Amino acid sequence: MSAAASSRTQMSARSALCALAFTVCLPLAAEAQATFVVESPTMRAGEMMPRDYSPDGRNVSPPLAWRGLPDGTRQIAVICQDHGAGNPPPWVHWIIYNIPGSATGLPEGIPFDESRPMPPGLEGAVQGANGWGMPMYRGPAPPGTSLHHYHFAVFALDAELDLPPGLTRDELLEAIDGHVIGLGSMTPHYRRHPENQEIDP
Amino acid sequence: MSDKPIDRRAISRRDLLKTAGAAGAAALIPGAAGAKEAPASVADTAAVRAGPAAAAAAPAGPLMNLTAAETELLSAMVDRLIPSDDMGPGALEAGALRYIDRALSEAESDSVEAYRIGLAALDRYARYSRGAPFLELSDEDKDSVLIDVQLGGATGAGVGFVGSSGAFFNMVKSHTWQGVFGDPMYGGNIDFIGWDLIGYPGARMRVSEQDQRELEAGQLPPARRSAYDYGQFQLIRGEED
Amino acid sequence: MPRQLRSADVVVVGLGAAGGVSVQPLAEAGLDVVGLEAGTWLDRRDFAPDEIRNNYRDWPMLVKKTFNERMTSRATEEQSANRIGGHPMMNAVGGTTLHYWAQSWRLNPWDFRVVSETRRRYGAGRLPAGSTVEDWPFGYEELEPYYDRVEREIGVSGQAGNVRGDIDRRGNRFEGPRQRAYPMRPLRWTAYLERMADAARSLGWHAFPGPAAINSEAYQGRPGCGYHGFCSSGGCPLDAKNSPHLTTIPRALETGNLRVVPRAHVTTIEVDSSGRTTGVNYVTGNEEFFQPARVVLIAGYTYENVRLLLLSKSRAYPEGLANNHGQVGRHYLSHHQGAGVGALLPYDTGAWYGLPAQGVAVDDFADDNFDHSGLDFIGGGNLWAMSDRRPISAASMGTYGRGRNWGSAWKRFIRENVDRTHSFYIQKTTLPYEDNYLDLDPQYTDELGLPVIRITAQYKDNERAIAAYMQDRAEEWYRELGALEITRGGLGNTMGASTHAYGGTRMGDDPETNVVDRWGFAHEAPNLGVLGASVMGTSGARNPTLTVQALAWRTAQHLVDAWRDIAE
Repeated sequence: MSAAASSRTQMSARSALCALAFTVCLPLAAEAQATFVVESPTMRAGEMMPRDYSPDGRNVSPPLAWRGLPDGTRQIAVICQDHGAGNPPPWVHWIIYNIPGSATGLPEGIPFDESRPMPPGLEGAVQGANGWGMPMYRGPAPPGTSLHHYHFAVFALDAELDLPPGLTRDELLEAIDGHVIGLGSMTPHYRRHPENQEIDP
Repeated sequence: MSDKPIDRRAISRRDLLKTAGAAGAAALIPGAAGAKEAPASVADTAAVRAGPAAAAAAPAGPLMNLTAAETELLSAMVDRLIPSDDMGPGALEAGALRYIDRALSEAESDSVEAYRIGLAALDRYARYSRGAPFLELSDEDKDSVLIDVQLGGATGAGVGFVGSSGAFFNMVKSHTWQGVFGDPMYGGNIDFIGWDLIGYPGARMRVSEQDQRELEAGQLPPARRSAYDYGQFQLIRGEED
Repeated sequence: MPRQLRSADVVVVGLGAAGGVSVQPLAEAGLDVVGLEAGTWLDRRDFAPDEIRNNYRDWPMLVKKTFNERMTSRATEEQSANRIGGHPMMNAVGGTTLHYWAQSWRLNPWDFRVVSETRRRYGAGRLPAGSTVEDWPFGYEELEPYYDRVEREIGVSGQAGNVRGDIDRRGNRFEGPRQRAYPMRPLRWTAYLERMADAARSLGWHAFPGPAAINSEAYQGRPGCGYHGFCSSGGCPLDAKNSPHLTTIPRALETGNLRVVPRAHVTTIEVDSSGRTTGVNYVTGNEEFFQPARVVLIAGYTYENVRLLLLSKSRAYPEGLANNHGQVGRHYLSHHQGAGVGALLPYDTGAWYGLPAQGVAVDDFADDNFDHSGLDFIGGGNLWAMSDRRPISAASMGTYGRGRNWGSAWKRFIRENVDRTHSFYIQKTTLPYEDNYLDLDPQYTDELGLPVIRITAQYKDNERAIAAYMQDRAEEWYRELGALEITRGGLGNTMGASTHAYGGTRMGDDPETNVVDRWGFAHEAPNLGVLGASVMGTSGARNPTLTVQALAWRTAQHLVDAWRDIAE
């Protein structure tokens, strides 16, 4: 798969989408009526992510929890992105949407294999195509020993959208445009330590 | 068409893979136990019997170009790339290992070192990131490791991949696909497993308008022949002008 | 010292698409011709329908001259050039036509008159800045008789669209007038191709089958195409692909006037003190020979022709043969074949048995076939929808973001979708520019220690604008077909090596800007002729081979007609 070498458009709303990719996020922010709290039982904003959420460990998706969703939230979408990578930025590590509005978070380890069921309470949720073109979480692997920031953005939506799996970030943002009633986020960071690279023989 | 490749779905693959040494590796290679057990479809291929490539028969132990331990690792990786499952047999049954081994002896001989280094790095990466040798991981963890190798996440782990880990993954994947979906003459695609998987109706010399209509109607029976079964072709070109 | 051989009237360097055609008119006219070919004879026993051999390993080549002299490439002079991994061409009697796609188009009349037609219709300001494009020294009508001759001699199947001004709606209404129809009907269409043609017509476009040097029916004692699906980089096991090794070269041999020397790797061309060529040096194994001739015709690929001239330095030509005006290697261009568009469809296409030359063409957006008044480019592209699928490459298809391209879930995906993808081949106008050129690489050499060609070339705004415009048209077509997903490639930057490389020994009346004259003979060395796409100054929006062959026939015929003037 050469997701980096080719762009991809979805039949629903295709024309000039790539060119508009950057501008479609702007109205979203303006529309957002409310902000809410996003946290994690295992990560803190502004601190290092545990190694298990990266290819230095098991590379499973981290748990998230949210509080104070706006009234009328019917569905939730989550994007994990690195604004300091990608051409053009951001580099997308994870996209998950069609999450029921009743959900209060995501458990650790959302299946990367689409044939496995979503955990209880997340029925209907599907994953979109990350920067590698894969519908799954793949965690931080910043080059060398550089420090990168990972922005988990959670969108509260006012409608139950039945979106197909595999949407790219641009396609998802286009699809939820006009339905975002709340926004929450948290941004931990990660660095691959030189000592991480010493392994047992 | 007497004996078919052994249906290893009945056996625990994990046990098979755990079996160390030459015997274990050989068990994974269809036809490896000797000429008698060579899959019928390939043995029946006249050109394979007669052609120069037939001399390079199926390996009788670990692959000719890899150690027993390397063979086990490669088997486990190839097994995850196209597994045997309820959709049918996978890459091992199709003879992908035998294909790769022959290729490493011939056209891909420059790649032997890349296999050696890459397989060692794969195992080190499994230990480093998942805390266990690759062969001991669950299928799901093996897949997760292979995804990180494919996407390059394993590159920065300092486990010995030369260049990007993705280059190693892509090399193995490309050779596996050649072994599963290429002409059976080269030792893979045993019993036309690969062509059946994708519904390819086989190598033909002429496809009439009627054949094309049958193909479009989903009614064209598979040809089940190697290109070299047509008798006209030579694989190795002589020095004649 | 090389061994001196008996002198010939004409030595032809390279027996591929161009040289392989030129030997017929030369030998039939009674000239004593020696054909030097770096490769060997290959035949249908070598052409198994075998994807591993054709597409993943080396082709059945015994000789790797082109591979050993593979080029270096960079976009601009500021960059360092990297050696490319392979060479787009092969060595054999018949050359790359043994396994090419065999699409055999005539250029459209506009391609010969880009400068004057652009000025006339839009004003001189519309010619892109920095382009060195010129009108050809003659128009389409001058080449028409040679197109006609070659279509019959080698055998081209197709549907005429304009016979002496009468438009036939089944063919390409934009083609230049032809004196008669093709000698064979076009290759057949599949149900999916019919569907594509219907979709194009419902968009108001004109769909038609493309021309191919492939027999659609028995012709000249050889059978029609078997549609076996291994034609892309594959030779024909039925001899239905009309390479010169089956057509013009055997006819030339029958006259007794052609001697073919395989494995002859030509290294330099010799000249006398007056600057006339005297013959060529070649190597066979470890032996060196000098083949004297009264006329030298070089007929390698674009990179080979330019290299041979630049390597042939002498007192008369210190910067390379016929290069005293510094034009050898200039005006280089190659077709922009990238910027592809592909789709995932909701139905099977039945494409397992087909060939790249079997398909649906739309020429409405090529050349100047549409109004460019409101656009920011000149030229355009030919949309080509073909039927071509082989098992390994098909099973390697992308998954459109729907999952991994391996594993159990992938097995389900591939079983459902393997025959549901399609991609367009879009050939687009490329213009020559002052800073796109070929020269000798200062660092890399072949196995004989001779420098290889360095390509310095990049697509400019005009090419990238065409690419984006054509991607939009392709996307419209796929929408009409009900595609589920559409992918678009990048617009391109570095030109790199190509199977459609032009220029470097451009043909024109002005010796200050062109290497060869209107007949294909060097302005500076009148008994040196150049055959091949290196003489072409524009690309058109379609495959070059038939034009190369028509030009080769014309140059050879001119040599016969003007033998005394040129040879003595």
